[in-house]
Amino acid sequence: MTFDTQVDIDADMSHDALWEQVRMAWTILSGRGAHEVHADRERVSRPEASGDTPVLAAEGFAEEALPWLDAVFGFSLRLTQGDRDAAEDLVQDTFLRAHRFWHTFEQGTNARSWLFTICRNTFLHGEERAINRYERPESDFDARTETLAAVSAWGKSSVPPDREFFDRLIDEQVVEAIDELPDEFREVLVLSDLGDLKYAEIAEVLDLPVGTVKSRLFRARRILQDRLRTFAIESGYVQEENE
Amino acid sequence: MIKETMGMISCEEAMARLWEFLDGELEDAEAGAVRKHLEVCRRCYPKFDFQKAWFEHVRRASRPTEISADVRRQLFRSILEQEAESG
Repeated sequence: MTFDTQVDIDADMSHDALWEQVRMAWTILSGRGAHEVHADRERVSRPEASGDTPVLAAEGFAEEALPWLDAVFGFSLRLTQGDRDAAEDLVQDTFLRAHRFWHTFEQGTNARSWLFTICRNTFLHGEERAINRYERPESDFDARTETLAAVSAWGKSSVPPDREFFDRLIDEQVVEAIDELPDEFREVLVLSDLGDLKYAEIAEVLDLPVGTVKSRLFRARRILQDRLRTFAIESGYVQEENE
Repeated sequence: MIKETMGMISCEEAMARLWEFLDGELEDAEAGAVRKHLEVCRRCYPKFDFQKAWFEHVRRASRPTEISADVRRQLFRSILEQEAESG
């Protein structure tokens, strides 16, 4: 079935409102009567706060998967290193694939991690990136050594710049620095620091041991902070230390 | 295992665990030892405060804009089309 009727939308329309408009248009186009929609609604039990969420045969998809749309988009945006068009394609492919395979999702588990996994796999597949690129031998990063090195690097004076320093940092500088990280570091950092996933959840998404997740994450943070410190020194916010 | 001297872990031990502490990934006992150290160590507290500010800044700076309404609509349609095709 094709679905080509335009739906008038407001750019500021909420996620739920937009979803409802599209769903109602589809209902009319597909010849399903309103009574069927209501019957469906009674049949499907929804968790609270789902509002007027749609009814799908893929039960629970609208309630559990769709709320993570923006989060997965954020992840896509960093995977594609800020290419918005590519990120939009990626997020659409991710959700269509997730919808198609929703029956394989284990209810009650973490839908967000599951979606991030699909997103990354879709990205790797689409990019034809050799998976062994991610399986090269780990360099010898020890997570706590990385932390100590990064934290201590701010100077023997031991007093880093105060919080006002961050007001002078431009957001784009941070985003650019993240996008320039090597893939294996960037994806771990994004899943942790932007996606708020725990180490164990990231390990699941990337199919890596937790120890590897930690060492990559901490190395990524150290690289970012090295860049930040260079900027801070060049800008005169901190004094360069003599070795 | 965390090593304590005079009931307190060293600056080095506290700082080596700082990111795990900020990530909320330490066991209760280890987190408690780091917290206790930070509460009394004038040398380490500014480092903790700076790292905490760094975490907050990274999150804020890279917060993605929402996906556009057009793309959202297109995706919703595609999902419903896919649903119709499979049903």
